[in-house]
Amino acid sequence: MDNSHTFVLPNSGHNFDAKASKMGMWLFLFTELLLFGGLFLVYMIYRYLNQDAFLLASYELNVWLGTINTIILLTSSMTIAMAITALQKGNSKLAITLSWLTILAALGFLVIKYFEWSGKFEHGLFPGMEHFNAIPLGERLYFYLYFFMTGLHALHVIVGAVFIAIVIRLIKKGKINKDRYSLLENSGLYWHLVDLIWIYLFPLFYLIH
Amino acid sequence: MDNKEKNVEHTSTNEHISGYTEHFGTWAALILLTLMTVFISIFGADLRTLTVATALLIATVKALTVALYYMHLKYEPKIYKVWMIVVMALFLFFLFMVILDYLTR
Repeated sequence: MDNSHTFVLPNSGHNFDAKASKMGMWLFLFTELLLFGGLFLVYMIYRYLNQDAFLLASYELNVWLGTINTIILLTSSMTIAMAITALQKGNSKLAITLSWLTILAALGFLVIKYFEWSGKFEHGLFPGMEHFNAIPLGERLYFYLYFFMTGLHALHVIVGAVFIAIVIRLIKKGKINKDRYSLLENSGLYWHLVDLIWIYLFPLFYLIH
Repeated sequence: MDNKEKNVEHTSTNEHISGYTEHFGTWAALILLTLMTVFISIFGADLRTLTVATALLIATVKALTVALYYMHLKYEPKIYKVWMIVVMALFLFFLFMVILDYLTR
């Protein structure tokens, strides 16, 4: 497994540069920040124009479910960060366990999100439903943004979990190890970004009142 | 990056390793801040504008904690800090221009 120190010809296609790999990941994360940043901008303007309607609509969300999901994501951020520590120290077994815990947390998050969304469906609050079309414009804007932003975030949760699953496979194969852990590190960075976005989504949608 | 600190472990590629206790401490701080923001929102319902500002302030403290410790930014080379400042300045510029647009209509 220890071929990471052997000489490779420059530009042979077999180069590996961990520092550049991480920098590339961060550049990608910046584009993600601006993607969600744009959505937060839309949220800010519509909330400013429809303050009372946003407040009223936010009562439809369950603060406690949001709090539990926040705690789940924060905990999963810790487990994936610890997985990196474990792998860097050479304990790949612990790294795999901690990565599995992170995926488990991702699934837990999605299950809670599923119950929250289906609750909204039952109340006819999804865009296009009969009840939805009858509520005031301000509240409709709130739910448009709620479904789009939490939906896009949930998509990121799924992608992050898939990345971590792939990483677990590669750790088992020995392709990711204590000398070469960039893929785990970058998946971890992606996972933390998912957490970071939720840190803002939670107060903006659940804690208005 | 450098090996000056004696108690800090490093990887085979000489990168700083964050310890388990550091990660746990970060987690405890984040949970505490989360509970704080929830309680302020529930019991401070009369001070609406104030709670929005507090909620955003706490969220920003949490985001910084995640970025610095979990995302390891604290231990990265200086260029990362420059990038962060440029990206944040870009976003604040967008924000500022949009606010300006809405306020002058």
